[in-house]
Amino acid sequence: MIEPPGYVVRIERSFEAPPEAVFDAWTSPEVMRRWFHVGPDWETPEAEVDLRVGGKVRVVMRQPDGAEVEASGEYTEIDRPHRLAMTWTFSDDPSNQQQLIELSFSESDGSTTVVMINSGIATDERRDAQHWGWDGCFDQLERTLASS
Amino acid sequence: MANDSFAALAHPIRREIVERLSGGAATVGAASRDLGVSKPTISRHLKMLEEAGVVVRVIDGRTHRLALRPETLAEAAEWIESQRIRWERLFDVVGEYLEERADRK
Repeated sequence: MIEPPGYVVRIERSFEAPPEAVFDAWTSPEVMRRWFHVGPDWETPEAEVDLRVGGKVRVVMRQPDGAEVEASGEYTEIDRPHRLAMTWTFSDDPSNQQQLIELSFSESDGSTTVVMINSGIATDERRDAQHWGWDGCFDQLERTLASS
Repeated sequence: MANDSFAALAHPIRREIVERLSGGAATVGAASRDLGVSKPTISRHLKMLEEAGVVVRVIDGRTHRLALRPETLAEAAEWIESQRIRWERLFDVVGEYLEERADRK
């Protein structure tokens, strides 16, 4: 998989399961409904998955105080069990930035490794930017923060 | 806002300037030397960094010095961390789900 240089978050993890099962877990509304249950009082009243290119994925999380956070996107690539990509936006994201989520699934010795790349999608006003993100700057940023 | 700092860092020239300033304040000349672009272009990039609050300009007589404002960058870094926490959580849930599925078999 070619990783965009401007990624924001990259997560890699392995699961003891065949790639088909891992892929299906990612697209399961049942998984989506548990996602934001960070506390016993949280609810996920809505979780929808329309698994086709252009189809929508949407989750609504409700906090104990009643405040809701919606996460939604659209599938842009579906290649079971190898790749899955979708646009993504959190309704409470202060950057108000549409993201791209790309997942790759690779099998070795009976386990499946998933790599997720969360990158930004350039908007018109950022057309001059080759890559939205941090790349080399991020290490530098961490050093700057560490020394301040 | 994080949005402004992200936009400010969304260009290789601006990121280069920020990297140069990460070692400490520098004159405009030192921070923008050898970037291979014209002075008006440099000014435009500096203006974006200043407006986003990533960089401050200290004028001392005829010398303009630039310095980073770490608090603005910290906000952006915090935002990235909050994104990571959310996605890590989804990985956890996928793992729990797969374990339960395996147990049921």
